[in-house]
Order: sequence, then structure tokens, then C-alpha cells
Amino acid sequence: MLKMTHLSKVYRTEVVETYALRDFNIDVKEGEFVAVTGPSGSGKTTFLTIAGLLETFTGGTYHLDNLDVSNLDDNARSKIRNEKIGFIFQAFNLIPDLNVFDNVEVPLRYRGMKALERKERIMGALDRVGLASRAKHYPAELSGGQQQRVAIARALAGSPRLLLADEPTGNLDTQMARGVMELLEEIHRDGATIVMVTHDPELAARAQRNVHIIDGQVVDLAEDPRFHSAYVAAAGQVRG
Amino acid sequence: MSLHPMIAALRKHKAGVVLIALQIALTLAIVCNAIFIIYARIQNVQRPTGMEESNLFLITQQWVGAPSGDDPADLQKLDAMMREDLNVLRSMPDVVSVTPINTLPLFPSSWNGSAALKPGTDLRAGNARTTFYFGDEQLLKTLGLHLVAGRNFTAADVTHRGFRDATESSIIIVTKPLADKLFPQGDALGKAIYLNGGNTPSTIVGEVERLQVPSVASWASGFVWNSAISPVRMNINFSRYAVRTKPGRLDAVMRAVPSKLYAVDAMRVLDDDSVKSFKDIRADAYRADIGMAVLMGVICLILLAVTAAGIVGLTSFWVGQRHRQIGVRRALGARKIDILRYFQMENLMIAGGGALVGVALAVGLNRLLMSKFEMQSMPTFYVLVGLAVVVVLGQIAVFVPARRASNVPPVVATRSV
Repeated sequence: MLKMTHLSKVYRTEVVETYALRDFNIDVKEGEFVAVTGPSGSGKTTFLTIAGLLETFTGGTYHLDNLDVSNLDDNARSKIRNEKIGFIFQAFNLIPDLNVFDNVEVPLRYRGMKALERKERIMGALDRVGLASRAKHYPAELSGGQQQRVAIARALAGSPRLLLADEPTGNLDTQMARGVMELLEEIHRDGATIVMVTHDPELAARAQRNVHIIDGQVVDLAEDPRFHSAYVAAAGQVRG
Repeated sequence: MSLHPMIAALRKHKAGVVLIALQIALTLAIVCNAIFIIYARIQNVQRPTGMEESNLFLITQQWVGAPSGDDPADLQKLDAMMREDLNVLRSMPDVVSVTPINTLPLFPSSWNGSAALKPGTDLRAGNARTTFYFGDEQLLKTLGLHLVAGRNFTAADVTHRGFRDATESSIIIVTKPLADKLFPQGDALGKAIYLNGGNTPSTIVGEVERLQVPSVASWASGFVWNSAISPVRMNINFSRYAVRTKPGRLDAVMRAVPSKLYAVDAMRVLDDDSVKSFKDIRADAYRADIGMAVLMGVICLILLAVTAAGIVGLTSFWVGQRHRQIGVRRALGARKIDILRYFQMENLMIAGGGALVGVALAVGLNRLLMSKFEMQSMPTFYVLVGLAVVVVLGQIAVFVPARRASNVPPVVATRSV
């Protein structure tokens, strides 16, 4: 579903080159629920933005749904984002001027979908996240958890091949976070491929597979001697 | 692109939307009427007088110590002085023809009255208002008028009289518009008319195609082409002569005229303004109109620029305010062109709404100007042009900030600030 090989992302200024990702390799299979963890500045978000075609990368290759997306132009990337990828952001990113229905409708409009089909999909997605009755409400009238559910409905409405979640519970309290996580797990059980960036080991532990990024590279914490002892300690805490 | 979400979003920014729409509406109302006024003035300025205007100039001179012309002996003396001037002017080698004349089209002096079909008709009850020109048998040739019916005056037709003598000529030449106004059947030639409420008939012996009245003011707009020419040398202590020169010799003759006239009689006043080409007379007559048209044009441009700046400013503010929202839309699949279209369409809706209000304001303003300043009814064409101008202006003004918006990268959606 998502395969990056020897991928790199370099931010260049006149005086310095900064590698956000370096020789980055990852392969996410269809139907997997992968949690991407790592410390601040490790490159998690850069990975997510490249995976979501929000940013270009400097070197390597990236195949999404068996399509090489390395050299696509801006329009083609927009089309793939619209049709194949669903985004769930930490800050929800709902459009405050639009009500819940219109917010969920945004990506479907860019797809040029007919009004009747749009309506069916929107109400279906809102029903799935338990907010069908709030279709006419504005984001400011909803709680943080409800807003994130609307964002999930927006991501689901387009039936994407891949769901990318960037700290989806980062702005929520524990109870709301639990609700959102359960919803993601339910969506995964229904067959969705989910890649979730998080710094929360507890949430990461609920994913099928964990990928750790440190200094712009994927590392195996259990095998890497630099992190072995810390990993064992952290794993013990999670289990305890 | 559906308008519903756009309208919903605009509802959240009512103040800005209403203000910019009102600005567009006012601009449309003012610009439409201003363009109409400018066009009307330009049309006035460009209309031909009916004369051949090149190689024509006017002399205005005053004798010093000349008699008033109130008694017959003085009248004869004044007429002799005038004829002497005419002889000298006509003898100049580059002069084609000369006529004594009381005024010219566009010259700030006029003799206005009425023409009626019945004798003793009250001035206001006459059949047509008209301006009178007095001159001799060379008037038509000198002014370059086109005789379309009847005949010109002969030297024998020409009389002379004093300023206060109300006797009307027995024959007269009128413009075709005046003839048609008095005799709609087109049979004016040979018919008698009565001038200025008098009882003496004046028989129409000729018709000239066109001769504009002197005044360019709005009060004369109802009878611009109603002119009557009497074969009369008007004797008073000043005189005017219209002179036609050979092509290209106008300046030379104008320079030579004062010395020629001073040689005849040095006791006269000829100042810098006394010898004036018709080109200068025309420029003087329409200076205020042209100035007003330029001023209104500048005001229109400033108004349009201010409106465009307002649109640019508001859209730039909105682009800044919605920076993250634009990034989210891009992340959700909007192409650059979708964002550009969004802002263009949003502006089209605001400008369209403003323009609709502006159309009503423009018509209302026109009605007000019609009632207060005798302005003509503005044709729909001007409103449509104004509407198109403000809508196109809005689209041009919004393009730069809209393009800036379209360049907001989708990655903005993932940034926390």
C-alpha cells in the first residue's frame, strides 16, 4: 500500500543542509494499522506529510497503492490526495465557516461527485462517527472529541485507500482520546489501512505494528544497541 | 463550483462583504453617470457647427469716439466706416471673403429671439426659438455654409441699420432644422415668418444645411440648430468681421490685419484678443466642458482604483486569515486552480451583488440629476458597461491575492501555528 525506499528529505538553506529523513525505508501492507513513533524532531511529521503527498521529497522512491508517485505534478498529487488518502489532523482542521455537513463535503466536491451521492456518503460517514444529528452544527458548537470525529468522517467519506492520522488524540482529553482511538480501531477492523503518527506509547501499543523514527531513519528499538535498554524499560512500563 | 458553501462562508464575514459590495455599488452608480456625462460632453464638443472651420477667423474691433448710431447721420457714418474696413480686408491678397457679422457659432455673444408663423406672436408663444446672424452677401461663402435650397443674398438685398432699430429684414435665410420645425411639410422656401413677435414678414429665400447657435450652455440645447441669417450690416460703435483666408494663410493674414485696419483708421481698439481664429474660439467655448470631462474621468479612475485597492486589501486580508484553511483544502484535494477559482468566484458574488445594488443606485442618481440639472435619461448601455467594468475590475483586483492563496502549500495543514 505504502512503500518508501531509500527516501530522503533535505531542507536546504544558503549555509546548511538539514536531513529530515535519511535513507528512509518503510513498507505498509494493505489493511495494516501502523503507529509511527519517535521523539520530537525525529521526522515523524515529515514522513507523514510526504506519505500524504503534502510535500515532495529529495531522493529515493515512493510507491502508493502500487503507483510510483515520485515525480507527479501538483495536479496529479492533488487528485491522489483527494481520492486515495484520508487525513486526520491533530488540530482537526475543520473549516470554521462551514457546518459539519459542508465540512465533510469539502473533499467530495473537489472530486466532482454528484450531489445525491455526496449527501449519501456524508450522512453515512457522519452516522458512522455518531454525529449524523449534528450535521447542521458549526465546529465551534462541538466539543474537541466531536470535532475530531467530524474530521474522521471527512476522511472516511471519500472511501480512501489509506488513512493518515497525525497525533489524532493530541488535542483531546483522555476520555475523548479513548473514544477517537476506539473509532480508529473499528475503522481498521473494517479493513482500512491506517498510519498513525503519535508520541504516545500507549496509543502506539494499540496499533498492529510500531515503526520508530529517530534522526530521520526507521530503527528497530529492540535490535539497535543505542536504544535497547530504554526500549525494554518502556515496554515493561506499557505492559505493567 | 457550488455557491452554497461559499455563501455560508461569506455570511460569517458580513461586515467586510457589505462594505466592499457597497463600495462597488457606489462606484458603479457614480462611474455610469460620470461616463454618460463625459460622453455627452464629448459629443457636444465634437459636433460640427455647420461651417468650414479651417482658414476662418473673427475680428472684433471698437472705434474710439465713434457716434452711437442713434440718428440717421451717425448711422451713415458708421456704415461708411464699416464698408471702408470691409474694402481693405477684401483687398488683402490672401483673403478669400469677408463678411460683417454680429457673432459666430461658439462665440460668447448671441442675439436670440423667436420665429413665428403669425404676426405679433408673443415671444414665448413663437413657433421656434432661434438665433439671429447678421451679415452681407459674402456671409455664406465666408462661413462656408452649404446652401441646400433657394438662393444666397445679393449685394442688393443687404441693408444696414442701427442697434436699436427693430425693423426686420424682408428676406431671410434659415437653417434646414429651423425650416423643418416651422414648416414640417418641407415647403418653407418662399414662406413668410415673423421674427421676435414683430408684424413685418420675412420671406425665406434660402435654406442652409446647418449652422449652430453661439451658446453652448444647456439653456440653448433646445434650439442648437435653429439659426436665421438676415442680410443686414449692423451699425454700432464696434464691429465684427468674419474672414476666410486661402488655405495655409490664416496666421499670416491674422498677423497683417491690425496694421491694415489701423492704416484705415488709427482711432480704434484692437487688442490681443481682437483677432481670433475659429480654432481658438472653439477651444475657448468648450474649455469648461473638456475640463469637466477630464475631471470626471480622473475622479472615475480614482474611484475605480480605490475600489480595486479595497478589493485587493480585503481579499489579501482574507487570504491571510484563511491561510491554514486554504492549506487544509489543498490537503483534501483542491488543486491550485480550485483555490484561485474559489476566490475569483467569491469576488464575483460580492461584486455581482454590489453591482445589482449599483444598477439601482445608478438609475436613481440619473433620475435625480435629470430632475435637478436637466440631464438626459441615461441609456441602459451605460449601466451595462458600468456593470461589466466593476465586475471585470473586481476579477482583475482579486487575481493577485487569489493567486497568492493558490500557492499556499498543502503542508500548511499539518503545521500547528
